[in-house]
Amino acid sequence: MASIHKPQSAAEWATVLVAVLLVLLGLPLLIMGAQLAMIGGSFYYVLFGAALIAAGGLMLTGSVNGALLYLVAWALTWPWAFWEVGLDGWGLLPRLFGPTLVAIAVALTVPVLRRIGGTTISSGRSMA
Amino acid sequence: MMRRIPLLTATILCGLGAVSLVTDDAAFAQTPPSESAPGPGNATTGRDSEKSSDKFAAPSPDAPQAPGVNAANIPDGPPAEPGEATPAVEQVTGNPVHDDWPAYGRDTSATRYSPLDQITPENVGRLKRAFVYHTGSKPAPGQLNKWAAETTPIKVGDGLYTCSAMDDIIKLDPGTGKEIWRHNSGVKYDSIPYTAACKGVVYYTSSTVPEGQPCHNRILAATLDMRLIQVDAADGRLCEGFGYHGQVNLMKGMGESVPGFVSVTAPPPIVNGAIVVNHEVLDGQRRWAPSGVIRGYDAETGRFLWAWDVNRPDQHGEPQPGEHYSRGTPNSWATMTGDNELGLVYVPTGNSAADYYSALRSPEENRVSSSVVAIDVKTGSPRWVFQTVHKDVWDYDIGSQPTLLDFPGKDGPIPALIMPTKRGQTFVLDRRDGKPILPVEERPAPTATDVPNDPRSPTQPWSPGMPRLGVPELKETDMWGMSPIDQLYCRLKYRRAKYQGEFTAPEISRPWLEYPGYNGGSDWGSMAYDPKAGVLIANWNITPMYDQLVTRKKADELGLMPVDDPHFSPSGGGAEGAGAMADTPYGIVVSPFWNEFTHMMCNKPPYGMITAIDIHTQKVLWQHPLGSARANGPWGLPTHLPLTIGTPNNGGPVITAGGVIFVAATTDNLIHAFDAKTGKELWSDVLPGGGQATPMTYEYNGKQYVAIMAGGHHFMMTPVSDALVVYALPDGG
Repeated sequence: MASIHKPQSAAEWATVLVAVLLVLLGLPLLIMGAQLAMIGGSFYYVLFGAALIAAGGLMLTGSVNGALLYLVAWALTWPWAFWEVGLDGWGLLPRLFGPTLVAIAVALTVPVLRRIGGTTISSGRSMA
Repeated sequence: MMRRIPLLTATILCGLGAVSLVTDDAAFAQTPPSESAPGPGNATTGRDSEKSSDKFAAPSPDAPQAPGVNAANIPDGPPAEPGEATPAVEQVTGNPVHDDWPAYGRDTSATRYSPLDQITPENVGRLKRAFVYHTGSKPAPGQLNKWAAETTPIKVGDGLYTCSAMDDIIKLDPGTGKEIWRHNSGVKYDSIPYTAACKGVVYYTSSTVPEGQPCHNRILAATLDMRLIQVDAADGRLCEGFGYHGQVNLMKGMGESVPGFVSVTAPPPIVNGAIVVNHEVLDGQRRWAPSGVIRGYDAETGRFLWAWDVNRPDQHGEPQPGEHYSRGTPNSWATMTGDNELGLVYVPTGNSAADYYSALRSPEENRVSSSVVAIDVKTGSPRWVFQTVHKDVWDYDIGSQPTLLDFPGKDGPIPALIMPTKRGQTFVLDRRDGKPILPVEERPAPTATDVPNDPRSPTQPWSPGMPRLGVPELKETDMWGMSPIDQLYCRLKYRRAKYQGEFTAPEISRPWLEYPGYNGGSDWGSMAYDPKAGVLIANWNITPMYDQLVTRKKADELGLMPVDDPHFSPSGGGAEGAGAMADTPYGIVVSPFWNEFTHMMCNKPPYGMITAIDIHTQKVLWQHPLGSARANGPWGLPTHLPLTIGTPNNGGPVITAGGVIFVAATTDNLIHAFDAKTGKELWSDVLPGGGQATPMTYEYNGKQYVAIMAGGHHFMMTPVSDALVVYALPDGG
């Protein structure tokens, strides 16, 4: 694994912040999501949590793949949300609103991450 | 604890952007915020059979009543034999004049329908406050808030009669709100049971005192500290000829009790000259709580007439010295409805004491709990019983007042009764014999439980002929939140609970999910019925609960004590939260099915609805969520959003010939007006407190007024106020 990238500008600091946020959000999703999956509930949350942690970790190393991983997980969340609750607005709210806000923040880090480590872009294997 | 910290942090992080946009109903707080079910494996500690410490020992039910229990120190005299009421004259409530609202439900049928038509869908938007009257009853600084006035004033002739939350009786000028007289009832704070409420007063015209003499027309009130009080409608002075200088002691024959254990909060109906009195017994305290006895008293004299005491069915007189009415029997706290024609009073009953454990109940109790019982007002004997829940261990006691109507049958109108329930099942019965007019089916109910020796009923009654005021069984995907994280928390909560639908049996080893919860469906707000159009209006709740039985040892650890324990602390456990259920092997923890951190409900909105039903076809005419998100949000923060999310609601609707429905009830602290035809919201106004009461409307000097008691509700977490707000159209408008 690449070592943690040292931020050198405000934009890079902001990117680190987003990456840390992803890990912080991913932890409870992973832990409680695993518990939920083990007692017969949805598998979505443990997978999404794992994707968030991996994405945040990759972004901390300066890899743009981390950001792309999150965006893929976010994009896959949409069909899942519609599959679970259809077009019910209240039902879609918790499933899509927060993750979309995060997706906007993550999308803004993509150019920064490209600048840091343009060489590390690879085929982007998703964990989700 | 490990799980909680990241959850909280993450929820806050993720919620930050959402707070201003996302809505929910934190105001739906039924219980102190710290309450939550102990969780899997946490309900048991030590050996189940271990004895309680002395601190939790029960007082003897035969112990004499402590000072203060007979609030006015009224001498009791010897036990009375059964008797008959003084013949009554026709009352103003039987066929109310056009301008008046003479009874809690407007008329003896409890229709909440007014023939007034000055306010219409076209002009309702111009309603303005005509006056505000302050009853003066609200918590003093430092007092635990137990207030929820729940009052509906009555209007007869030149008087608007009401009561304060603490039972002071008041006459106002209906046009100005000026106080004409006030009777100070002297109810003490200690006598507040679960809630300081006075739903209303009763107007009575004497058959023996001629017109023009004192106490020809009287106002009757029943109090939190168990008294009947009659005052002269003209000047508010006590009616000397009634009881002991105007008062009757309802604690007579009740045996051991403490102030606040038993209380009257609903206006007692007068049927053919008999005042019929029920009372609330504080839930969840002990199996051998004071009796739920129903009694009749003479409206003229206050003389005892009869008692209906479930476990002493053949004794209709007062108990002999050293005896008392049978303890722990089902209590009735809802407003009863009288039927002068059939000589019956319809009593909506609750549950035997210790609501969530049924192994110690008698067969007599099991026959009449959570039922409608029609009692003959001459003898005190039940003529028929219709049960809405068999062996209730869910607190599905009936909170609604029955509404009487002529049901359009094939061979002409049938004298019928509509019984709304917390289950959201609405039963339509023939009031002559209690037989269902619309089909009632006994459907299989789950019986699996880990509570030893307390089997559940294999079937429960359903009323498929009336639209269900509820939503289908909850699924994991119905769980909600602001973000995936708090939603996930609720999904876990859902999966960890036992849930087999509406009649999921209580459980000790893990929490169980109870939907509908004890707030309904339909609660004490009851329904309104327009007999001309045949339209029934109901507002109702979707508020699941998360419950768990706990062993006696665990209950002691949680500090759960009954109200009559000398060590009881008023903040230590409420009637609707955790309860000791002393004298049984278990205590009970009841909490809202919510996220303890954000105080958002775990199920998705809506949490409250309003429905119009055509009684001819029994079809829904319109239905939509009731109440906006303006005053509610995560962590109890108001969102100020006018989004109609549908909030929990307490308080009934009113329907007028003008085609307007008025309902407050919601936790957004608004009074709403709807178009009766379409359900469209026409008008709303922000109240000075929560509008947890049923509005009423009357005409005075040619002008129509709409009154709402904005008393708030401690358990709905809406602001308390002492303001009675009265609206009218502006002059010349």
